[in-house]
Amino acid sequence: MSRRYAHDDASVVVVIGSGAGGGTLANELAQKGIDVVCLEAGKRLTLADIENHPPTMFARMGWLDRRIGPMVWNGKTVGGTTMFWSGITPRIQEHEFRALSTYGQLDAGTTLIDWPLTLAELEPYYDKAEDKMGVSGTHGIPASAETNNYKVLKAGAARVGYQEITSTRTAINPVARNGRPGCQQIGFCNSGCAIGAKWSTLYTEVPAAELTGHFELRTECMATRINHNKTGKVTGVVYVDAAGATHEQKARAVCVAGNTVETTRLLLNSESAMFPAGLGNSSGNVGRHYTRHTFGIALAVMPGEVNFHRGTRQSGIVLDEQYHKPERGFAGGYIIETLSIAPFDVSNIVGGWGQHNAAFMNNYTKLAGVFITGEDPPEAGNRISLHASEKDQHGLPVPVIAYRDHANTTAMREHALKMSKAIYDSLGASHFHGGDIPVGAHNMGVARMSKNADDGVTNRWGQAHDVPNLFVSDGSLFSTSAAANPTLTIVALAIRQADHIAERMQHQTL
Amino acid sequence: MNEVQTTRRRFLAASLVFSSIAVAAETWLRGAAAWAGTRDPATLARFGRLLFPLDGLADAVYVQVMDRVLMSLVSMQPGDDVLMITEQSLNSQQAGNWFDLDAAAQIRAIENIQHEAHFAAVLSAVRDTFYNDPAVWAHMRYPGSSKEFGGYVQRGFDDINWLPEGRS
Repeated sequence: MSRRYAHDDASVVVVIGSGAGGGTLANELAQKGIDVVCLEAGKRLTLADIENHPPTMFARMGWLDRRIGPMVWNGKTVGGTTMFWSGITPRIQEHEFRALSTYGQLDAGTTLIDWPLTLAELEPYYDKAEDKMGVSGTHGIPASAETNNYKVLKAGAARVGYQEITSTRTAINPVARNGRPGCQQIGFCNSGCAIGAKWSTLYTEVPAAELTGHFELRTECMATRINHNKTGKVTGVVYVDAAGATHEQKARAVCVAGNTVETTRLLLNSESAMFPAGLGNSSGNVGRHYTRHTFGIALAVMPGEVNFHRGTRQSGIVLDEQYHKPERGFAGGYIIETLSIAPFDVSNIVGGWGQHNAAFMNNYTKLAGVFITGEDPPEAGNRISLHASEKDQHGLPVPVIAYRDHANTTAMREHALKMSKAIYDSLGASHFHGGDIPVGAHNMGVARMSKNADDGVTNRWGQAHDVPNLFVSDGSLFSTSAAANPTLTIVALAIRQADHIAERMQHQTL
Repeated sequence: MNEVQTTRRRFLAASLVFSSIAVAAETWLRGAAAWAGTRDPATLARFGRLLFPLDGLADAVYVQVMDRVLMSLVSMQPGDDVLMITEQSLNSQQAGNWFDLDAAAQIRAIENIQHEAHFAAVLSAVRDTFYNDPAVWAHMRYPGSSKEFGGYVQRGFDDINWLPEGRS
């Protein structure tokens, strides 16, 4: 039963955002009997609202408010980006938690650090996250069914000598589990899963939290500012509701999980005499070290029908290249993951017009595809900031995104696309397209965890170095990007953070 | 389609009906001197086919798509009329009218202007409409949404039959 809390009830924890980080954290806290108010900027959809057409659903669930700079892809809907994600859930590797120690500082522009926690510390939480999300190949859950597109990848990857080819590590139910059905292979999972087989906080964490009686979700409520008292502790969150009315929800602690751009904007916009550069930003690191993974897309026209529109977008991965092997000419590694996309996206990604584009479009049913995700070193210049004068519909400064690929990222992409071409060529592909996709879908690093307060924004628990009762609870926490798709780690960190917050509250230190 | 789009579409549909006679007459009088300026989808369909030539796709589908492209571009102010600017740009590539060239020469002229912003805007509008059109999808054998049919779990998500056996 959903609770209702008074605006002046200062005993609640306010969680901003209901996606992988916020939705999970809110539920974990509520399960422990901690009262939570969750502010979500978007609407609450039902499964019946999900159409199997990504452009339609991006218009319905995506964050479309004005931003300046390269596109960042995130949700504005209950469930946040867990509505769009593809469900792939590898863990970060041990050496990736020690990025600086392992790779060294790549050059004067990079800002690598080691994570202030280890894989060993996070492993129990990875375990809980995988169980919660229903990750294939873990906790007795079978492997994902092998789609045509995965079978092409598997055959080609074997031919080029890859060994670690697996149809596991996907948070889409292969069979019914925990009240959610098995995958029906509807396809284009990034328009949202119409049956709820893919894990999303919309139909897992959020309703589970409501059942505790310790949780209130306020939808279409845009947080605009976090207030604090004279001692520097946060006291409440100002937000604008659907009707345009402004409120302040008092709070015992505040957890920010708005995805990198909005998390940055909220912290920077909460500047005050005590925190003139923005809340939690005495080190100047809020919004900096923004990483979004080495991305790449490869598409190939195969000799026979693939019909990659049939079935899950992600049904398997190749892990052989995820390791740090500097002899390849770059630091860190990457993962090769199946990808299927609708006709417009194929045409757009291949680019151009005329026969060049038509070579792929005339063979849509013969296309196979993969997506590359790999480590992307942080740079101080890759950052999110606020425009000095431009304002949005709430009167908030418009976010400005600055991002460029590091040479390491470019070299990694080049290698990954060369290997992808070899995979498809080994099976007789007639046309190949390999390229970048200039969109930030895996957004990380703008409030990163650091051992030293000068190097980041938050400590090993995601607690702001500057403000004891302010937490960050989304991908902004990542000290470095690693290669793995970020959602599993966001969820594991949120479960761990909930334990920490509960313990601190129990000991009266929060 | 949202309310604003619906309203705009109705307005445009009405405008097209009332203006079609005038446009036809004007086209007859001027020949194809201003092929894009006619806003005639049938004429523009030839342009659409050059941009996205799908083997065997009927003219009628290109006509229907270009009709919708026009609607997506109609709100532009005269100074921002990317279609008109594209036409002028293409016509300026040679002595004659671009529309009267043979296909190879038309393609060469497009190649000359393909990096210009107005052409990119037109290309983007055509691509968006064309490759989100169910008739185009059907021709490509992409049937669109599958949730109404229970997905592909029983309908061929794993039916690939041409891959070589085993690992080699």
